[in-house]
Amino acid sequence: MNEFIVVLGWFGLYAPVAFGAIGSSWGCTLAGSAAIGAMLDSDGGYGRFVGVSLMPSSQVIYGIVIMFSLQRSSIDAANGAALFAIGVLSGATMLLTGIRQGEVLASAINASKAKPEIFGISLAPAAVLEGFSVFALVFALVLAGSIPA
Amino acid sequence: MSRPHQYIMLVTSLPHLGKMFTRKEVPISEFRLKQRLSMLRPDHLRLLRELVEVTAWAGVARYSLDSEVLRRAREVIGDLKDYPDLQHLVGARMETRTVIAALRRRRDGQETAGDIENWGFGRWCGRIANHWSDPGLGLGNFMPWVAEAHRLMQSGNHIAMERLSLTQIFRQLDHYGMLHEFDFEAVAIYVLRWVIVERWSRYSEDAARERLQLLVTAALGGPNAPGGPSELDGMAADEPPPGQGLFADASSALQETLS
Repeated sequence: MNEFIVVLGWFGLYAPVAFGAIGSSWGCTLAGSAAIGAMLDSDGGYGRFVGVSLMPSSQVIYGIVIMFSLQRSSIDAANGAALFAIGVLSGATMLLTGIRQGEVLASAINASKAKPEIFGISLAPAAVLEGFSVFALVFALVLAGSIPA
Repeated sequence: MSRPHQYIMLVTSLPHLGKMFTRKEVPISEFRLKQRLSMLRPDHLRLLRELVEVTAWAGVARYSLDSEVLRRAREVIGDLKDYPDLQHLVGARMETRTVIAALRRRRDGQETAGDIENWGFGRWCGRIANHWSDPGLGLGNFMPWVAEAHRLMQSGNHIAMERLSLTQIFRQLDHYGMLHEFDFEAVAIYVLRWVIVERWSRYSEDAARERLQLLVTAALGGPNAPGGPSELDGMAADEPPPGQGLFADASSALQETLS
């Protein structure tokens, strides 16, 4: 049983990075595809399209930070379950927010191509999603401090 | 093309078409549009061709009988089984055509709906037959524009009639367009809107009047003359042959009302 909890602990330790990387790559693919398409139909402003399409890359960075905060000198039955729970749940948050951020960024790029003046405000939903990722990061860090070493 | 990000790229590469009647020219040429659509999977491209064929005027102009048009529409609806919103769109388009055909028949003196099952499509056929003498064909609560179309048709204001008809079609496309952003349906709806905008952009009032005269002359031969138009859509001698291009022509209430 103890070995199983240790396995779960290692799984939880790496989950934020793995799920964050998947979310970021998925989100960047969606937003990046929109940016490439928009460049085909635009005579300028390519930089801002590509720039915003990179926004979902923050999820993997948050995942790396969470992983370091969860890291312990040893993973055992005392801390394995906590590492698993915090790691997997924060990782799942990074995964979903990364994908959804990519989707809303694609919509924002598509809409602002037709109406350039809404470019800034159209990024608001993506910024809100970024905020949710930050919440997950901050509270994962807070809880990580109470996990036994 | 099947993966979502590829549809995202295709949709964002297509310029915004804007509101109906606000543009004097299409924002993307047919050549460029076809080039972009080459990103579609072959089976989607085939479905798109069928969809355009059955909804655009020139596509159905090859058929001399209404029953052939109806059969083709049912075939296309069957082929679109994986895309229910496009099926509904074709159905709604055919119902609009049925209403316009009914108004035209009534204007031409037909006293009853007759064998409406052979020239009409959709859920309103029975209602149209039962309310033949009503200016709105009994559809006033569902399609308030029908009474206005009746008035325009009776007054011979074909350009306004064309405008009204295209506005209704555009609304149908807007309705279904709201449900799709980055998928095959979104691309198909974009193309259907492009067809209408492109057709309208080719209009000028003088050219329309000249064309009107030609069509009136052609119509004197009667809708059932050899090689003549189907009741549902009409055919004009000066139209390009069907199948010449992917988006050969849009639906035209102008022709529908005149044939």
